[in-house]
Amino acid sequence: MSDFLEILERSNNGEYITEENWDLEKVAATARRLVKKYRLEWDRTQVVTDDPSLVDAIYQAGYEMAVELGAYCRSTERIIALSQAEIDQGISHTPQTLVMGEGKDFRTLYARRLGDQRPPLFFGGPPGNPIPQPIFLPNVVSYVQEPLIDLATCGTLTEVDGFPVRTGHPMEIVATRRELQVVHAALNQVGRPGMGMLGAQSSVSELGNLAASHPRYLRPCDSHVVPMLNELKMDNRNFSRVVNSLDYGMINASLPCVIVGGLGGGPPGSAVVNVASFLVANITCRAHYHLLHPIHVRHVATSTREVLWVISVVGQAFSRNAPSIIVADIYPKSGTGTLELLYETAANAIVNAVTASHLEGCGSADGRLPNCSGLEARLMAEVALASHRMHMTLQEANQWVLKLLPLYEHIFSQEGGNPGLPFDQVYDLSSVQPLKSWQQMYEQVKGELRRMGLAL
Amino acid sequence: MTDNELISQITQAVMDGEAGIASETTRLALEAGLDPLSILNDGLMAGADEVGKRFESGEFFLPELMLAGRALKAAMEVLNPSLAGKNLTSGGRGGGRVVIATVQTDIHDIGKNIVASMLTAAGYTVTDLGVDVPLKTIVDKAEEVGAQIIAISALLTTSMPYMKDLVGLLVGRGLRQKYIVLVGGASVTEAWARDIGADGTARNAAQAVTLVRELLKTA
Repeated sequence: MSDFLEILERSNNGEYITEENWDLEKVAATARRLVKKYRLEWDRTQVVTDDPSLVDAIYQAGYEMAVELGAYCRSTERIIALSQAEIDQGISHTPQTLVMGEGKDFRTLYARRLGDQRPPLFFGGPPGNPIPQPIFLPNVVSYVQEPLIDLATCGTLTEVDGFPVRTGHPMEIVATRRELQVVHAALNQVGRPGMGMLGAQSSVSELGNLAASHPRYLRPCDSHVVPMLNELKMDNRNFSRVVNSLDYGMINASLPCVIVGGLGGGPPGSAVVNVASFLVANITCRAHYHLLHPIHVRHVATSTREVLWVISVVGQAFSRNAPSIIVADIYPKSGTGTLELLYETAANAIVNAVTASHLEGCGSADGRLPNCSGLEARLMAEVALASHRMHMTLQEANQWVLKLLPLYEHIFSQEGGNPGLPFDQVYDLSSVQPLKSWQQMYEQVKGELRRMGLAL
Repeated sequence: MTDNELISQITQAVMDGEAGIASETTRLALEAGLDPLSILNDGLMAGADEVGKRFESGEFFLPELMLAGRALKAAMEVLNPSLAGKNLTSGGRGGGRVVIATVQTDIHDIGKNIVASMLTAAGYTVTDLGVDVPLKTIVDKAEEVGAQIIAISALLTTSMPYMKDLVGLLVGRGLRQKYIVLVGGASVTEAWARDIGADGTARNAAQAVTLVRELLKTA
């Protein structure tokens, strides 16, 4: 704890800099310089690169950025400088295995390697999608009842008993606790009470997080999110989450949602920022594992070419240079009841699994609607496991993605996206099974993937 | 240097995000007797428009947009005294004041920053209050700077109710008719905007600029 308090103190007495100058003169300028220095380029037709020198250069550039910049505290407008020794210590202390859950339902996450003989693990749930209270329980059940799903996550409650939930308001406490009660009820209902979870998605400020730190809600064997703000920033809210967990014992999942096309510039600079963010998060978020969730500056989705490329190089970079437990999120543009959601999920699942990440998903419909279900999470796991069984190489993964992209890329220029239908229009709520039309779409896409050669 | 060359240099400085060159070239253009409106529209705004287009097409990224906004701001400080009394609203450019903020409890700012940069690049005077801004502060600032538009953002669905509260605060203070209220964020829809009594929303920053132009024309 005292180590962390020392880091925290730096946010009070570090060098002062305005946020705009941090963004432009530190992050953007450094990313631009490092991209030039290491001659980092991306190729739209090499979404999954098999060039180890490129991957290693991205890691080296990200390492340099982490040592050079450290982090920024938005609450105090000060730089939290981190020494090279501290960054190195963060790498050497990063867990290589991590037990989540308890009893017969526990799982052991591990730092994946390229070509790892062990299969990836799967978090099932729509992380952060707003889900109406009346369908929250069946929505969670739809994921955790899937036999291939190892760990749980869920959406957020935006209303409780008809009252809107406001962040930073007492209702945040109510919503966070209610969310976790429902998740536990869902786990009990499917006979997997000890399943570990990434929970308290309804907690945005420290209020919900603090309120959830009790075995009735988040157990010490569960994890919670410790976000980093764009880019390389912390604030007192998120530091509070860390301090809370250090004492209580929860598992910290760092979440820097690096924006591809944001301050890092294009995909190469964004990948550099993502590598730096994980290295910094080892210290500022006390991360036990990292959520790899770059988002596209205009399309949000993780299934765009640019974001898939960033996921693939960051996963490879850590696997080769600083093995860490990385869980890559799948946030497709499309929602349930559309074929495109399933194609996006398949492409993302292949990239995430082959490039050494575990998987979490799916935050369907950009994570902004209740248009999500356990069926696409089933496909996510099936496709990832198929690629694992096939010992899919990086080159083969790239060929797969290039075949899948034309099946869904049109949705990025579609006005209004491709939201599909809400959960209660694609699932029967009493049996918690997909309705016929949604099941048929799933069977259709699975059949196509089989015919294309995937060992499903 | 010819007049055209000066105008081209101003345009290029904005596109390059070079604040020092943009302000210095603007000063030289004024000294050379160029029409301030031409400097604004043919030089600065032409550069800003191009940056906006390149951002939308994916050729430019957020830093280019922010740096162009800085360059434009620096040049406008030089140009503003000469624009006094000119009709800036011709061609839908400038002439409007916008107060923009991410509402209290929400700390997401990239979308809001892009909109602020694009509005600045389109010639509006933008007061960006940052993130997690109390509703009272937003309204007080709009009153202080004489804004026509209050633009508020929330990414989090659980921060969106504060948008409704802001409209309520304006109503409560008898100020609702004074402002155009725009709302934005990933989960914000036209239906939501309508339901809470806002005046509009846009799917992206380019559409936000168009919306502001349209609403200010009819206001």
